[in-house]
Amino acid sequence: MIGIALRLALRGVRDLAEHPWPHTFACIAVTLAAFLAGLFLLFLTNLDRELHARHGQVQFQVYWQPAAELAGVQNAWQELRSWPGVESVRTYTPDEALHELTASLDPEAELGWLKGKSPLPATALVSLAVPDNDPDRPKIVYERLKALPDVAEVHYNPAQMDMARSWLAASQRFLWPLIGLLGLVAGLIVGNTIKLSQVSRLDEVDILRLVGARQWYIELPMLAGGAAQGLAGSILGLGLLKLFQLGVANLLNVPPLFLSIEFLPWIYALGLAASLTLVGLLSSWVAVR
Amino acid sequence: MVRLTRLSYNFGSVWALKDVTFNLGKGEFLFLTGPSGAGKTTLLKLLYAALPMSRGAAEVCGFDLARLHGRHVSLLRRQIGVVFQDFKILPKKTAFDNVALALEVRGMAKSLIERRVRAVLRVLKIEDKSYVPCERLSGGEQQRVAIARSVVVNPSLILADEPTGNLDPGLSRRLMDVFKQFHAYGTTIVMATHNMDMLAMVPSARIIHLEGGRITLDSSEQQPPEGVHR
Repeated sequence: MIGIALRLALRGVRDLAEHPWPHTFACIAVTLAAFLAGLFLLFLTNLDRELHARHGQVQFQVYWQPAAELAGVQNAWQELRSWPGVESVRTYTPDEALHELTASLDPEAELGWLKGKSPLPATALVSLAVPDNDPDRPKIVYERLKALPDVAEVHYNPAQMDMARSWLAASQRFLWPLIGLLGLVAGLIVGNTIKLSQVSRLDEVDILRLVGARQWYIELPMLAGGAAQGLAGSILGLGLLKLFQLGVANLLNVPPLFLSIEFLPWIYALGLAASLTLVGLLSSWVAVR
Repeated sequence: MVRLTRLSYNFGSVWALKDVTFNLGKGEFLFLTGPSGAGKTTLLKLLYAALPMSRGAAEVCGFDLARLHGRHVSLLRRQIGVVFQDFKILPKKTAFDNVALALEVRGMAKSLIERRVRAVLRVLKIEDKSYVPCERLSGGEQQRVAIARSVVVNPSLILADEPTGNLDPGLSRRLMDVFKQFHAYGTTIVMATHNMDMLAMVPSARIIHLEGGRITLDSSEQQPPEGVHR
């Protein structure tokens, strides 16, 4: 019985080749729907990740005077790490800052002759965790940073924390409804496309009925074919999305944003592929009924 | 084999078939005649349960059509071979695959399928076209594939709806010989046609003439009137 079911399912996938054009177009449509849905999810998940990462955090950019002694600056960096609430300190010596800048502008550029003569100042990126019961801590830390020896400038965005909080509230209110709506739209597009492509196989269904095939014998190959279309389309769509993500991963990963765009969490990617496969299966079932 | 009592079928307010009553014994050859729209195709569709009957009683191959549902429909159809004017074969599949389909749905062993399909294709003289996709076969060859598919299962009853409608007279005669051959083996055949020349080819056949969905002549009860002759 399992052998027959497997054989029928394989035949359903193989028979897609008998009507190549409708099924190719359906696969392209599913791929595009999967790509667009994935793109939207990518945007939402990255936004959500950033907002969660920055929730209750404020980043300071601290620039030392160019003439400051590096040993003194490095002592200050050590001290900073022990301050209460400081979660991380990323530091750049003038040479490291130059290297970073060169890499972000033109990785091929040869600036070795500037080694030891970098015009850039020593820099530190300080991430501070702000407890809910101490909203004034950023201001206090800001003042302390400014008071450090040889510090030229300290930048921080006072609206950052408020904005993060508002975005979080908004995302919690709108994210899941948006994902639901997106799923519905993608499902309708994919479902109708696969249903239409399966119509080209209805003559086969008629003939199978005519020769006395049982309903499961007729349905199984069609369901397998629809599911295969959904799965193939979603894998291709996710592949396109991965290529897109690789292309833009480090586009915004530059000072002062430091935003790296990451691919969908695997559970989301799996969920997207599984949903579109299920939609393919269900729409084939509707077509054959 | 077939027992119909006041069988009726309506499309909305139009009665496509009304109070059709006749019995058909095993091994009979029946021609259903009548002009287009007389109800011949509707009657055939009712016989293989492609349409649900609206009224009356019908028994085909031991199945009560009024109570037929679900898997019993497929069981009934396994007793019946159906041949259409437009062949209803899968054009991309080979002649062999089209004929084998009828046996595959019954779960028959591959070796047995191979043997039976080859034998039927040989009888119908299209064995040399076994592995040619049907879309590349001529109309006559395609019709022979359709007939092969209907007879390969050794049916109790063959229903043929204008099987020679798309074929030239020479080919039609040759296909009628095939039907006569299977009839000689004891298969019951019901053939709908409005080609009166076909009737002369099976002199022993019974004729039922339909008009406006009603039986206007049954040759087993009365002589055919003028215009309906062998």
